Amino acid sequence: MDLDVEAIREDGASVIALRGEIDVYTAPLLRQKIVDLVDEGALNIVVDMEKVDFLDSTGLGVLVEGLKRVKTRGGNLTLVATQDKILKIFDITGLNKAFPIFSTRDDALKGVVAPEA
Amino acid sequence: MSRSESTAGSVPDLDIEFPAKPQYVRAARHTVAALARMREADDDLVEDIKLAVSEASTRAVAANEQAGSKDPVKVQAFVSDGSLVVEVFDRGPDPERPVSGPPEEIDTGELPFERALAVPLIRGLVDEVAMESRPGGGTTVRMVVSLSAERP
Repeated sequence: MDLDVEAIREDGASVIALRGEIDVYTAPLLRQKIVDLVDEGALNIVVDMEKVDFLDSTGLGVLVEGLKRVKTRGGNLTLVATQDKILKIFDITGLNKAFPIFSTRDDALKGVVAPEA
Repeated sequence: MSRSESTAGSVPDLDIEFPAKPQYVRAARHTVAALARMREADDDLVEDIKLAVSEASTRAVAANEQAGSKDPVKVQAFVSDGSLVVEVFDRGPDPERPVSGPPEEIDTGELPFERALAVPLIRGLVDEVAMESRPGGGTTVRMVVSLSAERP
């Protein structure tokens, strides 16, 4: 598989650290990880995409689905991303307005537990 | 060959077919990206091309599956006059409606959610895109990208 998905428990949040390429073949792995975490009671999720080499609309769809899933339960989902090629995809689709995007995992963790109004 | 001319009859710089399954989309985008790199596209442009090819190939895989077709997805690429033309062929249903012209004129309002993300992405990455019925059934998605430094 071309995507590694690792879940890490932090204070008040779960971090999903991704490494590799997110496309139509690998996105279901991310979807399943988010579903599992929410089923286990996680409300606040940080998706760390610093080591993601590729993201397409299938991956975006899974992230939007995950955001809806935690929001309906009163939780939140934030992203870590600094690479231009990844940020550009959020800009083009307008999804940069839907997701709080942070440059470091620490900031994303702070943002996910204390979202700005 | 100018950017807008048909590629019909031209010998492609790249001609591949892959089984219409999700695991092969990666190979398709990396192969076209390798051609773009050979033609000295810069890193940012290679990433744009990779994403556009991935979106079109993902669409084609879904279209063949929807139509129950066992045919492979076909990808051809042509480099000429500083432009890269990529054509992705499927055997799925005819397109929702044929579209062609400048990417910004393509309306996505009526498309389902994931397609509604894919089309603006392709639109934001390439200089021209067209989606047409293919003779014998299916759709051709044709994308044109300028390889020169002066991109719009």
